Amino acid sequence: MDINTINYLANLGKLSFTPEEAEQMAADMTGIIQIMDGVKEIDISYDYLKDNHNVYLPDLRIDTRYDSFTREKIVSNAVNDNGYFVVPKVVE
Amino acid sequence: MYTITQLREKLNKREISVVEVLEIYLKNIKEKDPQIQSFITVTEDTARENAEAAQKIIDSGESKPLTGIPIAIKDNICTKDILTTCSSKMLGNFVPTYDATVTKLLKEQNAVIIGKTSMDEFAMGGSNQTSAFKKTKNPRDLERVPGGSSGGSAAAVAGDLVPCSLGSDTGGSIRQPASFCGVTGLKPTYGRVSRFGLVAFASSLDQIGPLANNPYDCGLVLNAIAGFDRHDGTSSKTPITDYTAECGKSLRGLKIALPQEFFDGADKAVVDAILATAENFKSQGAEIVNVTMPSLKYAVAAYYLISSAEAASNLSRYDGIKYGYRSENGETYGELVKNTRSEGFGVEVKRRILLGNYALSSGYYDAYYGKACALKQKIREEYYDIFQKSDVILTPTAPTVAYKCNENISDPVKMYLADICTVTANIAGLPAISTTCGYQGNLPIGASVVGKPWEESRIISVANGINC
Repeated sequence: MDINTINYLANLGKLSFTPEEAEQMAADMTGIIQIMDGVKEIDISYDYLKDNHNVYLPDLRIDTRYDSFTREKIVSNAVNDNGYFVVPKVVE
Repeated sequence: MYTITQLREKLNKREISVVEVLEIYLKNIKEKDPQIQSFITVTEDTARENAEAAQKIIDSGESKPLTGIPIAIKDNICTKDILTTCSSKMLGNFVPTYDATVTKLLKEQNAVIIGKTSMDEFAMGGSNQTSAFKKTKNPRDLERVPGGSSGGSAAAVAGDLVPCSLGSDTGGSIRQPASFCGVTGLKPTYGRVSRFGLVAFASSLDQIGPLANNPYDCGLVLNAIAGFDRHDGTSSKTPITDYTAECGKSLRGLKIALPQEFFDGADKAVVDAILATAENFKSQGAEIVNVTMPSLKYAVAAYYLISSAEAASNLSRYDGIKYGYRSENGETYGELVKNTRSEGFGVEVKRRILLGNYALSSGYYDAYYGKACALKQKIREEYYDIFQKSDVILTPTAPTVAYKCNENISDPVKMYLADICTVTANIAGLPAISTTCGYQGNLPIGASVVGKPWEESRIISVANGINC
């Protein structure tokens, strides 16, 4: 796997690498993909009809309001201000 | 070293109090865990409060099987108001506002939660060495890995720091550390135990399960945590049963399959131990059936493609906005998210995200993810065919015994290939248990018993018949 592909995949995954990290990752991923390429040896295809039998659709709950967490609890694990999540400005 | 059964008897007969039991394990943790490094969080104060509450339940005569029993919980299972890190910097400061269903069920029995155990980061690994916090050691040999990703849970039981623990298993993460540490670990049928509150890795493969000193104790813990949960859309309504009920049942007439491909590439000591176990079963009246699983050679690739694809999706929620680590660098929203994820995740997690996105990306989807899904169906069919001729399947849990801490960890390919014996049970959604069947020197060798869906009682019973 080359550095360009690493950077493309990193972008998809919202990750960034230094040039040294990207080089190491390319070496690691090359070895990993060689193993994954083993699946190409076998000539089979996915049969959608074989799956999703007896899928249990859970009962919907009764449509009534119930108490959830307090605002304080909800933001307790985040950078917050007065009950709001604080984020960088998105729109100028 | 006490089993749950022994503790239950002593507690019910008032030979020992819950607080006294707890103090024994807290003392063991203080003395041994600085070397073993199995716990990320020890909840000493709340454990003492809960021990006193449990004692009142016992005194009232209303104790349940796990009342007053100390238990450790893997750190990817949510415990309300207790740090839950997944051994990752990304969740290094995360305190859940709710309990996982399994946590709630343990609390309903007044089990005493003693702490949260270390793991491979986000359950991705087989050595417990990718943990951002505690790189757990194997209590049998502190220079060796305990296995992973439930290495902390396995090491805590093996080191006599708790009598039982909960782990999670996506590709072998309960069974392999159980094998390496010389304890018993069980992965239930997919859908048997609720995943609500389990931090998701690969949602179609993840299952929570128990680790303990023997199969019977695993059955006791499974009794407490199994069952339908409407908060988990994949939870099954198949009736639960007493998973210890078949222990002690004769193996006479039981058909035990040995798939030859699981033995290729395994160390000689491992092969010999499993074959000796098969002979032991035969002497107890079981019938050994030789079978094949031709698709096994594709299993590791299929597993890593499916699990990484799901992980890439599941881990996209970590952006530092609503919870978890947030980078201090980033002028724009996009930069903040990228920096947060790049600083918060470890190398192995990043590899899996890249692999998952690669497998799902345009031009590669059919060749990799599509093919892996087809292999999932093929592996299930091959298991179905084997179960036409047999009742359970016996295999090694891992091709080797526990390796040294500095081996393999820098070679991801070698690490992945070592999962060959465990991943197919996850792919097929089957119940599987690992228990010790022999030793190489002083290093335990685990045998896996794989069963038909929902037949946890049977595999616990068969594993219980392995005397080691």
